[in-house]
Formats: sequence, structure tokens, C-alpha cells
Amino acid sequence: MTNIPGVGTDTAPRRARAQTAGRQETTWVVAVAVLLVALLAYFCLAVPDFRELGASGVLALSEQFLFTGLIALGEAMVILTGEIDLSTGAMSSLTGIVMATLWQHGLNIWLATVVALLVAALGGAINGLLVTRFNIASLLVTLGTQFIFGSVATAVGGNTPPYNFPKSFVNLAGTGTVGPIPDQLITFAVVAAVVWLVVARTRYGRGLVLIGYNRAASRYSGVNVQRTLMGAFVSCGLLAGISGIFVSGFYNAARDDIGDSLLLPAITVVVLGGVDIFGGKGRMSGVILAAFLLGFLTQGLLIKGDSSLTATMVEGIVLVLCLIFKIALDRRAGVHLRELLQRRFGSAQRAPAVPDA
Amino acid sequence: MTTLPTPPASAAPAQAAGPVVSRAGPGSVALNLLLNVLRRREVQLVLAILGLFALCTALHPQFGVASNIAFILADSVTIMIVAVGQTIVVLGRGIDLSVSPVLGMAAVSAGFLAADNNLNIWLALLLVLAIGTGLGVGSGFLVSVVGIPPIIATLATLTIYGGWQFIICGGMSVINIPAVYTNFGAANLLPGVPWLVVIGAGVVSVAYLFLKKTVTGRSVYAVGNNADAAFRAGIPVRRILFTTYVISGFLAGLAGLIYLCQIGSATSTSGSDGNTNLMSIAATLIGGTTLLGGRGGPVGSALGAVFLSEALQAMISFRINEIWDPAGVGLLILIAVVADRKGVPVRQLFRQPFRQPAGATR
Repeated sequence: MTNIPGVGTDTAPRRARAQTAGRQETTWVVAVAVLLVALLAYFCLAVPDFRELGASGVLALSEQFLFTGLIALGEAMVILTGEIDLSTGAMSSLTGIVMATLWQHGLNIWLATVVALLVAALGGAINGLLVTRFNIASLLVTLGTQFIFGSVATAVGGNTPPYNFPKSFVNLAGTGTVGPIPDQLITFAVVAAVVWLVVARTRYGRGLVLIGYNRAASRYSGVNVQRTLMGAFVSCGLLAGISGIFVSGFYNAARDDIGDSLLLPAITVVVLGGVDIFGGKGRMSGVILAAFLLGFLTQGLLIKGDSSLTATMVEGIVLVLCLIFKIALDRRAGVHLRELLQRRFGSAQRAPAVPDA
Repeated sequence: MTTLPTPPASAAPAQAAGPVVSRAGPGSVALNLLLNVLRRREVQLVLAILGLFALCTALHPQFGVASNIAFILADSVTIMIVAVGQTIVVLGRGIDLSVSPVLGMAAVSAGFLAADNNLNIWLALLLVLAIGTGLGVGSGFLVSVVGIPPIIATLATLTIYGGWQFIICGGMSVINIPAVYTNFGAANLLPGVPWLVVIGAGVVSVAYLFLKKTVTGRSVYAVGNNADAAFRAGIPVRRILFTTYVISGFLAGLAGLIYLCQIGSATSTSGSDGNTNLMSIAATLIGGTTLLGGRGGPVGSALGAVFLSEALQAMISFRINEIWDPAGVGLLILIAVVADRKGVPVRQLFRQPFRQPAGATR
């Protein structure tokens, strides 16, 4: 008999553990939601300036962090597969710059937006191709492409990147509102709903998570690993692109330098949302909630009067605390060395390159 | 009897791409030897450095003058020293993204004391080493004691230290440091041989001896290769990992002082604005150390740093806008990684470096 780890052994404890893991994921999402409510309550009670914003003011705050949330959605898809994309921040700047430059050269701004989003998807596809076809670690690929995208953005944008877009664009992509609700928030809600549905409710999404949990097993159960990974990277590029459009709309100017400052918050959101940084575990709903939790935390601190670098430091500290907590939970749930090793070698022994149809 | 499909020998393509030597005839011993030598990344890098140098000198004769060579070498020293620390971390299958703010913190702390209180340069050296070591202890603690995956742990310390550096500066920059610092940065040991280059070479040599000749150094390779096996062989895995981050911080601190001497000023974004992280990782990867750990060494990384410095200088002489510098470095990383065809499944980089077997007590 062939000996494949995890096949043919007793399934009862395994199923019990899977159920525990599922419950743990749910608990995490609920905890994030509770924290979000508690945080808003705290700021309303303790920070007068925050209270005075009123409901519409607080909702308008979301324009300051929804672009991070968009990047986090794409990043979460990639991290769920056990890979990572470090180029998202640079891709966000590049998309904004491409859009703005095309518009400056006389193209209709909406057409320019579509073209720029295609460029973003193409960038994601380049990452995906290098990872899947050339078999290079995504960390290295995206470390390299991050700087290539960033350089291209700076070069295309020139010394004075375009600014002062048409009002209709600034309204829809930037600071416009429908009643008390910002337009950005509506767009984000639609995009987040789509991503959530794809990841949580489709065959593709199940494959995405399974790849992260055990790549060999996913291949044997018929998941097209390469195509699924490509999909994750292209989606990630596209979502980063939408975030770049948001940034341009919000500041009413294209910015080539915002890239680096968006990456860490986005990864923090993903981890805070309960996605296992090793891949294979996590819920999209948690990521969406975490985007608001971290965003309101940062904005609340800024309104309270802390400097932006203090807020960044707090982000770093939140990330560490979150991970410490998660690791402690894992230990209690009895994730032992044996399982870690199984997962490690399960992924290390790359299944042969099955000729994909 | 259903037999589950076994993976066909996945090693076959790897072998085909691997040792060409074994298939060559017995008569070509010299050729084999040559091929073996050429397969070493250090040798390839020396050839690349010389080739690029010859090309640039042929097209722009002023590229080959002695002062330009000295400049390229001296310019690479900061990254070289950081890259040696990075290499030691990477050999233990880690990664240290916090080197840039460590360098920056060391530079601004020493710089402020030097500019305001005329701090003695030797005391400054002690100070930066202490700062670097202390910050390295922070990263090492998160990775080896708490057990956070290195990339995330050091991403977090990157922001925390970066914010700290900003707070120390409080909106001020270091200017007007005493001449003794800048003089040292420009001083030559022998005519044409800057002191900085000597220091860089010294650090690389010590690191080489440490990794090759000491028990701790050998253990770093063992841990990087297989942490579990290393643990069962009685190597104190956590302590070794901890040590690698402390060394990385120590060297980044030293590099901070060299940066200060070379540039003559420091700001709240020193370190981060020069892409120290990217450059040190690039030098490490180009130098043939793999992120999977356990393979490579500091000599390659030092050559990688020189090559990077030379390539950037070449871009200047070809009048390529410096906007493209990061893109050039990114491209070099991709080339280095594609050339190193033993692809690394990235998930392995995210594994906690080590976790004690259940029930094992200490």
C-alpha cells in the first residue's frame, strides 16, 4: 500500500478537529465584530471630537481606509492559497497613475479607468505566471515586481502627476455621497460582497482555500492548482487597481508614492480578519470586518490627536498581539508538531507537474 | 485492492536539470572541473562583475578609473554589512525586514549625540552596536520565543522601529556632524583603498569564519536545512534562531554608523528611503543564498552587494534615470531567482521556524 499522509487513517478525530477549527474561525469573526462595536462605542464615549462627527461623519471616515480594505480583500485571496503578494501597494499607485495619465492625454476618464484596471489585472497575471509557470516563490516574485511596478508608476507619472479630475469621477470614486453614505462605501460593499460570494460560496473558492490547506491533496481531488492560483493573483491585482482608483478619486490627484504605506495595513487587516498566514484557514467576512476595525482604530487615534506614525506603530503592535493570540489558540486546540510536519511535507513534496488541460 | 496514485518520480526533471557532470565521459575531467567551478554562484558573480566592468569601461572610459572603482566598492559597504546579517538570518530559514529602521535608528541616535554633544566616535560605535543588538533581540524574541513567522514578525518590528525612529527625530534631522566622522567616511587606509572597504571585508571574513568554523555557525546551517532534525540532534534551535536575529541587528547597527560617516547626515527616514531592506535581500539572493535556508554564504552576498552597487553606477553612466533604480534591482532579484531553479514553495517560508514536539519538556 502506498503511504500518503492523512489518507486511510481514522477519520473521526480528524473530523472533530475540523469542526473545532471551523468553530474557531466563527468565534474569531464574531470577536472581530464585537471589538468593532466596542471600539466605536469607546471612541464615541471617550473622544468628544469623534462623537461630534455624527453618523454621517463617522461613515465618511471610511473613505480614509476603504482603499486599504480593497487591497486586503485581494491579499486575503492570495494568502488563503498560502502564497503572498507584496506588489499590491505599488500596483495600486501604478493603476492610479496610468488612469490619470491616459485621462491627461485626452481619453475619457471612465475609459481610462477601465484601461488602468486592465493594466492592474495584467500585472497580477504577470505575478501569477511567474509563480505558477516558473515555479518561483511568490514572495520573491512580488518583491521584485513591487519595485518594478513602483518605478514604472514614478516614471509614467513624471514630476507632477495629473490632478484635478472631472467632478463626476471625483464624486463616484472619491468623496461623493448618497445621503449619508459615501459612494466609495457602496462600491466597496458591492465588491466585498462579490469577493465574499466567490470565496465562500463557489467551487472556485473552496479550491482556493483547499490549495492553502494542502496543495497535494487539492491536486488529487481535482483542483486545477495553477489556474486557481492565477485567478487569485489576477483578482489581487484587479482589487489593488480599484483601490488605486479610489486613492486618486479621494485625493483628487494621482499619487505614485502611496504604495509602500498601504501594504502593511492591508496584511494586518488580513491577519486581524482571522486568515491563517500559512494559508488554508480563514473567512472573508472576518477580513471585511477587520478592514473597518483597523480603519476606525487608526482614524480614531488620529482624531484623538495622535500622530500618524503613532497610528502606524499601533498597527504593528495590533498585528503582533493578534498573532500571539492566534498562536496561543492554536496550541490550545492541539495543533501538534506532527500535524505541522505533515502539512509542511505535504506541501514540500510538490506533486508532479500534471499536464493541465 | 485499490492503490492510490503515487506521485511519479518528481525528482526526474530536477535531475535532468541538475548535475550534467555525472553524464559526461571520463575523458573530460578538466571540463567537469571547470563546469563545477562555473556552477558556483560566487564565481558567476565575479565573472558578472568583471564582465559588466569591462563593458562599461569599453563604452565609457571614465568608468574604469581607480577613483570610480573605489567609489563603487565604498558605496557597497553599507549594504554589504547589512546583507551579511541578512544572510545569516536567511541561512536559518528566516528573513529580517526590520534592518532598515535598525540602521536608521542607529544612524540618527549616534548622529544627534555627535552633532549636539560631540560624541567620541568610539563611544558612537559602542552606542550603535548596543542599539542594533537591542533591536535585534526584539525581532529574535518574537520569532524564536513567541513563534511568529519571521516575515510577519519582522514586518511588525519594521513599523514599530520605524515609528520609534520618527519619534526620536521629532521632526529634526541630523546635520553638521563633527568632521571626524565624515573624515573617517572618506579616509583611505592605503592610497585608493578606503577604510570602509577594509571594514566591509573584515566583517565578511569574520562572518565566513563564524559560519564555517564555529559550532554555532554550523548549527545555523543545520537549523535552516531541517529544524526538526537539528532539534533531535541536540541543537538548541530556538537559541540559534534568536542569535541570528541578534547578529543581524548588530550588523545593521554597525551599518548605521557607516551610513552616518558616509552620508554625513541622517533623517527620520534614513534606511527606509534607500531601500535597505530590498537591497540587502537582493544582495543575499543574488549571492546564491536561498530563502529556503541552509544553503549559501556571506561571500556571495558581499559580491552581490558589490554587483548591485556596480550595476546602479553603470545605470548612471548609461544615463538611465534613477527612477528606474528600484526596477533594476527588482529585475536582478527575478533573474537571480530564475537562475536558481530550485523553486521554493513559499508556504514553507511562512512556517513557524520551529515548534517543540508535543510533550517535550525542557
